[in-house]
Amino acid sequence: MNNFVELNFGPQHPSTHGVLRLRAKLDGEIVRELEPIIGYLHRNAEKLCELTFYADNLIFFDRMDYVASMLMESGYLEAAEKILNIPPPERVLWIRVIMNELSRIASHLVWAGAFGLDLGMLTPFFYCFAQRDYILDVFTEVCGSRQETNYMSVGGVYQDLTPEMIEHIDAFLQSFPKKLEEIYRLFVKNDIFISRNKGIGVLSKETAIDYGVTGPMLRASGVNYDVRKANPYLVYDKVDFDVPISQKGDNLARFLVRFEEMRQSVRIIKQAITKIPDGPFFNPKAKKSMMIRLRGDGEYYARTESPKGEFGVYIVGDGGVKPYRVRVRSPSFKNLSVLPVLAKDQMISDLISISGTIDLVFGEVDR
Amino acid sequence: MSIFSRLTSLFSPMGYPISEVLAYVVESAMLAIVASVSLAVVIYLFRKYMARVQLRIGPNRVGKFGLLQVMADGLKLAGKESIFPRKRDDLPYRIAPLMILVGLVMAFAVIPYGSLFWIGTLTVSDTSVSVLLLFAIIAIMPIGEVLAGISSKNKYALLGAMRAIAKDVSFEIPMMISVLAIVMMASARTASSLSINSIVLTELVPYGILQPLGIFVFMISMVARASYTPFDMGESDSELVTGYSTEYSGLRFGMFYMGLFGSILLGSFVISLFYLGGFNGPMQSSLGFVWLVIKAMIMVFMAFTLWLSMPRIRIDKFVNLGWKYLLPIAMINLVLSGTLTLLMGW
Repeated sequence: MNNFVELNFGPQHPSTHGVLRLRAKLDGEIVRELEPIIGYLHRNAEKLCELTFYADNLIFFDRMDYVASMLMESGYLEAAEKILNIPPPERVLWIRVIMNELSRIASHLVWAGAFGLDLGMLTPFFYCFAQRDYILDVFTEVCGSRQETNYMSVGGVYQDLTPEMIEHIDAFLQSFPKKLEEIYRLFVKNDIFISRNKGIGVLSKETAIDYGVTGPMLRASGVNYDVRKANPYLVYDKVDFDVPISQKGDNLARFLVRFEEMRQSVRIIKQAITKIPDGPFFNPKAKKSMMIRLRGDGEYYARTESPKGEFGVYIVGDGGVKPYRVRVRSPSFKNLSVLPVLAKDQMISDLISISGTIDLVFGEVDR
Repeated sequence: MSIFSRLTSLFSPMGYPISEVLAYVVESAMLAIVASVSLAVVIYLFRKYMARVQLRIGPNRVGKFGLLQVMADGLKLAGKESIFPRKRDDLPYRIAPLMILVGLVMAFAVIPYGSLFWIGTLTVSDTSVSVLLLFAIIAIMPIGEVLAGISSKNKYALLGAMRAIAKDVSFEIPMMISVLAIVMMASARTASSLSINSIVLTELVPYGILQPLGIFVFMISMVARASYTPFDMGESDSELVTGYSTEYSGLRFGMFYMGLFGSILLGSFVISLFYLGGFNGPMQSSLGFVWLVIKAMIMVFMAFTLWLSMPRIRIDKFVNLGWKYLLPIAMINLVLSGTLTLLMGW
């Protein structure tokens, strides 16, 4: 049984979402064995964090999941602020929720567009990116940068949300749901799209839990686990939203769960911009001149819900101005580990669509 | 009066064999030039249309409205180095793109175009068996794809070639059977029922109305022939890089690209001739070509819309479609049109 053709996908391949390399053993068109090879985008972010001040480490987190950098920042700050003992004021929590959810929508839009490309659909990609650009405009307004935002800081945010900014976010929320449904229909009203995804890449509940799969992939397999509900952080316990779940576990279920998450994110932001209280936008203990003198002691593991899954940050402080150790639990990496199971005995076309539904971002897998 | 006879009379002072040979050479050159210019137009239209569909502007830098963009791209491709894989099978590797391009231009030579004002008929070569000739030429092009895939000695190209073979065998038989139904219907009305020209000239109503199943099968086959999304399994850029043309670069890659758009144009012309009445229309003797082009352009834009809105179908599903649906439908169409011909004398 050694007649398999060994085919090497990537790291430069049109549909590997960055630098994923897959070594596949093919029996005709059917994938018999699959081995993902990673590390092509390794930048040593965790070690670099040990060499840098607490407040400056944010830039490494911006560049982990670079399509949802706000969520990475807030995930790091969940842990760092506990270590440094600088709780952010109430208004900042709400601002962070707004930015997190905008970032989640942006990330899911990038995923939807790229997934369309994986299946050979050229057009939805542009529709998704056009909507994402409105979100990036909001980011530009609040922090001057589109992608690597570096908006949040220890104990606060870089600048306050002015009423105009909130107005712009509100204007986006008014137009976005209609456009989202348009994009949604482009996909699900297409019979070929359904036939390419229904029943393909079925991930069972048990396998998902065994492999540490989290996020929309886990919820599409029927496990009701969302860190925002299971272990509320920021002010997620004060907003009302649903966690979409599907029992099917196939490509289509993952697709539908992600689209429903975008709708829920819109719901969260709508509540947040009405409920946001007035107040300072940073903790006075974390003035800019004080940043490099912040000392942290103890250890803390913070988990947050990134668009890819549970994003965990573990920080050990030894009383110095720099962390002793930073460790990141990146959801994409854990989700990628289940790809060989899902793609076994599937066709090449299905391998591509399954790896598309995992939503891989290599800045985060390789760190 | 056809272009060929005009050319022969133009060169007649040179004596019989020379004048005829010269006329052939000049007419072939004209055909090649017109074919490549019309391909450039189709590519430009596609890029503009795709840009509009995708909320973009499209080419607008080279020339007015980007009209010269396609030419600039062609020049760029021609100036690029051709990179040859070391383990290639040299002769098939070199002739494969030529087969696609030559097959394409030859196919444009045998289809009738109708007449235009004082120029008369634009048809390049009007033989009495042009249906057979056309489909024989169309069948050359897949061989070019398969040769390209196998001779490149690349795994992606090989997989692409395998898919191209599987695709070609599953659509060509339904396609031929649906054409057979047309020839059968035409044979009741004309003696030379294998000539596309007389099929179109003698039709009562466009065959697309009489054979809705036939036009359905034929249009799907033409999409698969041109191999764009949803039936571009052979190239499938997100799975197999670019399938059988993976190892081609420079002008040879450009030939594959032209083959793709040329197949769309050719397919549109063939569908309009067989099923939409071709050059039939008001003022046929002076505007026939215009009617044909209008019908073909409608088909071209339908093809573009399909291309831009569909995901790619999986190869096994396409083979299923070809053998389990298209073939029976084509058969039913054949039986139905035979019955109609016998009973009604259409």
